[in-house]
Amino acid sequence: MIPRLRVFHQLVLRPMLREPARTALTVFAVALGVGVVLAIDLAGTAAAGSFHSSMDALAGDADLEVTATGGVPDRVAGILATLPYDLDVRPRIEDFATVVASGRTVPLIGVDLLKGGLDRKYGSLTVADQFQSHDRKGVVWIAAGMGAKKGDRIALVVGERVGEYTVAGMLDGDAILMDIATASRDLGRGDRIDTILVKTPAQPGAEEWARRLQSALPPGVEVRPQGSRTSENRRMLAAFRWNLRVLSYIALVVGAFLIYNTISVSVVRRRPEIGITRALGASRAGVLLVFLAEAAVFGAAGAVAGIALGRAMAVGSVRLISSTVESLYVSSQPAAIEITGASVLLAFTIALVVTVLAALSPALEASRVSPVEAMSRGQREYVAQVHKGRDLMIAAILGAAAALAWHGPPIEGKPIFGYAAAVLLIGCSAFAIPALVSGLSIVSSRLLRALLGVEALLASRSLAASLRRTSVLVGALSTAIAMMTAVGIMVGSFRETVLIWMDNQLKADLYLRPGGRTSADRHPTLDPGLPAQIAALSGVVAVDPFRAYETSYQGLPATFGSGNISVALRFGRARFLSGRNAEDVLPELRGQDAAIVSEPFANKHRVRRGDRIVLPLGDRKVAFRVADVYYDYANERGYVIVDRATMLKYLPDPAASNVAVYLRPGASANTVRGEIERIAAGRKILILSNSNLKADAIKVFDRTFAITYALEAVAVVVAVMGIAGALLALVIDRRREFGLLRFLGASTAQIRKLILVEAGLLGLLANVAGLALGLVLSLLLVFVINKQSFGWTIQFHWPVAVLAGALTVVYAATVLAGLYPARIATRLNPIEVVHEE
Amino acid sequence: MIRALLAVLVALPGYHYEFPRDHFSHPDFQTEWWYYTGNLKAADGHRYGFELTFFRQAIDRATPRASAWDVDDAWLAHLALSDIDGHRFQHWERLNRSGPGLAGASQELARVWNGNWKVQWNGSKQELQAVTDRFTLRLTFESQKPPVIHGVNGVSQKSAGRGNASHYISFTRLITAGTLEENGRTVALSGTSWMDHEFFTHQLADNQTGWDWLSLQFNDNTELMLFRLRHKDGSIDPYSAGTFINARGAGVHLTSKDFALTPGGRKYGPYPIEWRVQVPSLGIDVRATTRLDEQEMTSYWEGAIELTGTRTGAGYLEMTGYRGPFQIQP
Repeated sequence: MIPRLRVFHQLVLRPMLREPARTALTVFAVALGVGVVLAIDLAGTAAAGSFHSSMDALAGDADLEVTATGGVPDRVAGILATLPYDLDVRPRIEDFATVVASGRTVPLIGVDLLKGGLDRKYGSLTVADQFQSHDRKGVVWIAAGMGAKKGDRIALVVGERVGEYTVAGMLDGDAILMDIATASRDLGRGDRIDTILVKTPAQPGAEEWARRLQSALPPGVEVRPQGSRTSENRRMLAAFRWNLRVLSYIALVVGAFLIYNTISVSVVRRRPEIGITRALGASRAGVLLVFLAEAAVFGAAGAVAGIALGRAMAVGSVRLISSTVESLYVSSQPAAIEITGASVLLAFTIALVVTVLAALSPALEASRVSPVEAMSRGQREYVAQVHKGRDLMIAAILGAAAALAWHGPPIEGKPIFGYAAAVLLIGCSAFAIPALVSGLSIVSSRLLRALLGVEALLASRSLAASLRRTSVLVGALSTAIAMMTAVGIMVGSFRETVLIWMDNQLKADLYLRPGGRTSADRHPTLDPGLPAQIAALSGVVAVDPFRAYETSYQGLPATFGSGNISVALRFGRARFLSGRNAEDVLPELRGQDAAIVSEPFANKHRVRRGDRIVLPLGDRKVAFRVADVYYDYANERGYVIVDRATMLKYLPDPAASNVAVYLRPGASANTVRGEIERIAAGRKILILSNSNLKADAIKVFDRTFAITYALEAVAVVVAVMGIAGALLALVIDRRREFGLLRFLGASTAQIRKLILVEAGLLGLLANVAGLALGLVLSLLLVFVINKQSFGWTIQFHWPVAVLAGALTVVYAATVLAGLYPARIATRLNPIEVVHEE
Repeated sequence: MIRALLAVLVALPGYHYEFPRDHFSHPDFQTEWWYYTGNLKAADGHRYGFELTFFRQAIDRATPRASAWDVDDAWLAHLALSDIDGHRFQHWERLNRSGPGLAGASQELARVWNGNWKVQWNGSKQELQAVTDRFTLRLTFESQKPPVIHGVNGVSQKSAGRGNASHYISFTRLITAGTLEENGRTVALSGTSWMDHEFFTHQLADNQTGWDWLSLQFNDNTELMLFRLRHKDGSIDPYSAGTFINARGAGVHLTSKDFALTPGGRKYGPYPIEWRVQVPSLGIDVRATTRLDEQEMTSYWEGAIELTGTRTGAGYLEMTGYRGPFQIQP
């Protein structure tokens, strides 16, 4: 042990400590990679993993949940309560309320507190508290930290209105509790409630109880084990979280390149020492272990720093992720970010596994250094050159494998093959880059000399000469650039597609929806009288009330909606997968049990035009013929749309979730808006103009992808830092060479130019390789990974401006990264360096 | 806790009774209850007593309804099973709003219920069902006699003053058969039950603290109902009254002068659980005793009793206001 430790000290620790800046950079790169993975994991868990906290607030220990599309008819509570079984029946209204003073939105739960008074406790509620719960003036129980205490009045936005409530007591858990009568009144729920939780006796088991209860209830009402909704949502979010997690590994992949590079540099630079150590009796295994230990030191240090970094970054990302989840999937109440033993373990595991794996190849190379061989420097580059043919072969094989994986189907909704193809492509380019670098250096040296002078020639030559090292650098940077380009193209294409779709889809002049918090799974409604009042205004030519309900199809949540077919025919421009016109498709829906479904719905459930889908609606189960599949980018849950008359047949509530208002040509939008505001006075209603709505939608879109951009940026930062570190290493490595050049009369300016040109060449190569790889990867993202994960058809667009800007920034950063090493190189004392020879 | 006088009607003489309407809810009165009590036996002679009571308390009549959940009435229900030979008393209570069919007393549905405790009218029969975590009790009642209206001119006066009274109807002899399912075992039961239905707006006067009430079913096919209203100072209210029902089903009103109710020495907590009942004009002098002392509900004692003396039989004894003034709400 002692000799091995000494060897470790000599070969690893001492050089590490001698170059604190480079060591710190490498550690930081690992930390950034680990931090990003950890941050996404933590924030994802807090934002997407905890969405059930709002639904399950104060749910207690129920066994079954009863739900129905359009809400559970309240008489179902009566049926259940009178069944001859010993059941605890807990009807619930679930919504959100916003505390006016703080602007914070929290789950609002309405339960039967009168009944609860005798056999259950909510937080510190007493029986006496419960008996005043039916007080129609409105009493609430709130959690600590909502800015009011028992006996205070608190202003809350509930449904369309702001109301003053008396705080009757304090609760455990972050929610507002009120009696179900108060909740029903203030949310205008009429004869529907959201769910009924049922506690059953233990025997004969939840499934048998579900069957018994189901047989007593109307067929459209579903009885399922409690938590089914939550697990449906969790299942729906699994693919999203999975994709997010995969994205977060990009930074780690780039970090792995850097570790590989760092250890390679160590090995190459310490060949003489390795040789001497081996000559003094160190074993091959010893040398291997020493270099793996070096990687492990970087890994461990990176993990420690990464945990702190990850925690900090998670705070920043949790809001972004939760707003994405809300706009695409389901109401979410971000939980606190918690560093658990598991997350610490995750950080160390990924850091150590990635760094040790990345170091394996150079460490093996080090162990193969024979005591005699370790004298000259040229030998290694020669070996690298010889392997060029073999590397190109490997690249070709990886490329072929990528092409195969490209066509693989999704596995459980996850594009496993798609991501495999991406990894294979990156591998392919990593092996192909050495050939590219050497080819380029031969072709360009003459050109460069003519253009930039003798320093450029030297730079280009030296680049090809230390190919092995630089190819890894170019690989790291080009991978980062490729990811950035690919995601940039994908998001840019997606954005453009959505913009065009919105222009087609959103033709109305004004849109109305209830104010307050929105999310993809919540459909608060407007006053039922409103559409008719608006239609009567002189400036208005048509109104289209859209109504949406939460439903579930084949165990996954979906949205069931309806609109006015005549208005849609007159103004809408919906586009269909079949290529048919709206004029041909929409009349098929009129009054019929026929529906159009959105593309994500069709993809998720493999539904095609002409299929039948069965939805539970109100009391019944209704079969709809799929008239067509339409392009839709509003959310990922998926829509089933029917004619308004058809919906009213099954769910007779006439209230609309939102209303599109079409103006008479020449009518002033502002005048009509003013008139609508007067009609809706006193209600929390949002009136959006066409451009407002589009701007809002694109804001949501951009927010959704902000996290993606952030991840890309981190990857690029890691890569550029790698360039800086590696150039620094090169400078130190080639100090004899620089010393000799200086000795032979090169000026400091020429040396600086030499290094900057080299950095520039690296950057250029990485940009070219990255752009090429990125283009291929973007096709993979758009047509395979996105399609399989989310089911959207994205039209390919080049986001030229964004890409050009990003690449310029990266290129400039690369060149700037050469400044510090260049400074070091110019400070070398030629006499001293040459003296070393 | 009742904020204001909610009901618009008070119990006044001359009320026109109409059945089956008057077996169900009277939302214009503040309070209403349906009491089922009875003495039952299994085939092997094992004795049981039961009580199932539905209370309705008006809460709000002023606010317009926004949904079925609004609490216009609170429905409280008490269930007790006295396993007399097993020396076990079990009791439950539940509170509900009318809600979307959670509790009520509906002529249309011919049902008085609170959750899955219910009495369903089926022709002349009444079918009781009560489900708990321990057992399910199912009984069918067939009345041998027409309903009796207590008091004078349709009102049972409780204290001086207009409307300080109730409308009070009883089925005094319900022939009962049914089952008790407990621990997977089903025991067939039979016996005799009693049903009281009372609705009113004012009941106890300020100086009244509670009452002692007895329903006596004699083996000679006659019944006697007596109640004694107690004052805070321990004296007995002159409005205490009763009804004797002869074998043909005709009721005779008894005033406080007609009978004497005397507690004996045996007590359970503050409750005197043996009584001497004397109605000299009818030649009645019986002792009421219980085999199960601990038949105490949350705020009153209500239990099965046996009768010995000039006549024999069984019945139920209710005593309220011994642990603070009686109120329906928890």
